[in-house]
Amino acid sequence: MSDSEKWAWWTIGVVALTIAAYGAYVAFLRHGPATSTVFALLALAALPTSSRRNFKCRTFDERERKISNTALTAGFRAFWLAFIVLILTIGFIKGWNSTLTVPVWILSEILCWAVALVLGVQALTTIVLYRGGYDV
Amino acid sequence: MSSSEPEIKNHIRRLRFDHGEMTQDQLAKQAGVTRHTIMALEAGKYFPSLLLAFRIARVFGAGVEQVFEYVGQASDQP
Repeated sequence: MSDSEKWAWWTIGVVALTIAAYGAYVAFLRHGPATSTVFALLALAALPTSSRRNFKCRTFDERERKISNTALTAGFRAFWLAFIVLILTIGFIKGWNSTLTVPVWILSEILCWAVALVLGVQALTTIVLYRGGYDV
Repeated sequence: MSSSEPEIKNHIRRLRFDHGEMTQDQLAKQAGVTRHTIMALEAGKYFPSLLLAFRIARVFGAGVEQVFEYVGQASDQP
């Protein structure tokens, strides 16, 4: 398994752990400002890239670079799609001229979900492209 | 990629065996890529850049056209 695949599996694990922790928190405690603390787990996704091993002479060749770029683009595409769906849903349900008042912790939570989405899709795309090959 | 589209075939696997049964890892190190890229190339799942094609050809001491072969369509003929 290549380093990129290891990174992808690790990231999927981190995102899955965050979702599970979030679900457990909401189920056993309650949904409130403190729920956002669960998203601190997402910081674990940075662990492989900040490890000492990563700074050694690791080969990151042209195919891996292409896969990485495509995966990142897929992540941001998913984010953009989710953003449009969210805006359309709010617009159609609440009305396009309505004013939305949300607490700040909801905003930070939405941002954290967006990060989780981008990371998750990026990691999944990396694995799919590695397994299925990368035609250019 | 559909079968009607032109393809680039390669003879990397045969050339490796012709060169003292060179392993994928040895070729990868000499060409400056990962073994996974060599595996993808041999499986026809990845088409290399021109630079990598030249690097691989140089490892075998051959020309690019001896390693990679363009299999075009009949409509490609002049």
